Amino acid sequence: MLVIDEYLAVDVVLGDWPAGLPDDDTFVLPASRHFRLLQRVHNPGTGQLTGILDRLTAAGRDSLRHPHPEVLHILDPRPLLDEAASIGARYSTGGLLVTETLAAGLAYGRQLWFGTPRNIGRRLAEIAGELKITVHVAEPA
Amino acid sequence: MEPVTIGEELLEERRRQRRAGDPRLTDADREILRRVTRGDLADEFQAALDADLVNDPLLGGRDADIDDNVA
Repeated sequence: MLVIDEYLAVDVVLGDWPAGLPDDDTFVLPASRHFRLLQRVHNPGTGQLTGILDRLTAAGRDSLRHPHPEVLHILDPRPLLDEAASIGARYSTGGLLVTETLAAGLAYGRQLWFGTPRNIGRRLAEIAGELKITVHVAEPA
Repeated sequence: MEPVTIGEELLEERRRQRRAGDPRLTDADREILRRVTRGDLADEFQAALDADLVNDPLLGGRDADIDDNVA
């Protein structure tokens, strides 16, 4: 299983394959990252984002709300919570997004895949390095 | 040419399905999602993701963490 971020989750749902992203594995999205995508669907915010996401068909919204099982899985957060809390305590960083993502990286092959460097965050990158989790970035060609 | 096993056929079929993305999407849906994450609205999309961390302490952690957690 490969742990991916919100950008790659959308790429995978679209079938737009960034260069370097393996295609022979199952893709999993941490629940906290799925929650951020869901907030875009249900409460996209202000500006153009709201207007354009409102134009998705019901099926288009479902592709993010309930991803197709052949394409993308959402990680059950419960088995990761203890590790996430432990990471949060040891590194004095309490955010579930970062700690759950790192716990998922530890549990699934010590690697994390992001669709853009902007979405990694400095703290996650630092802790991932200490935990020997490799952070990959796969962007569209 | 070496014969292809049933397992290899099955794995290749799964790979093709995965590569094709979600079959429920329409072309218009695909265009919208491409604009949001990879196109002209990508900055707004990233700003919204970052704002989630600022607005939700459970997700983003304490105030001191937030600058380090967002891009």
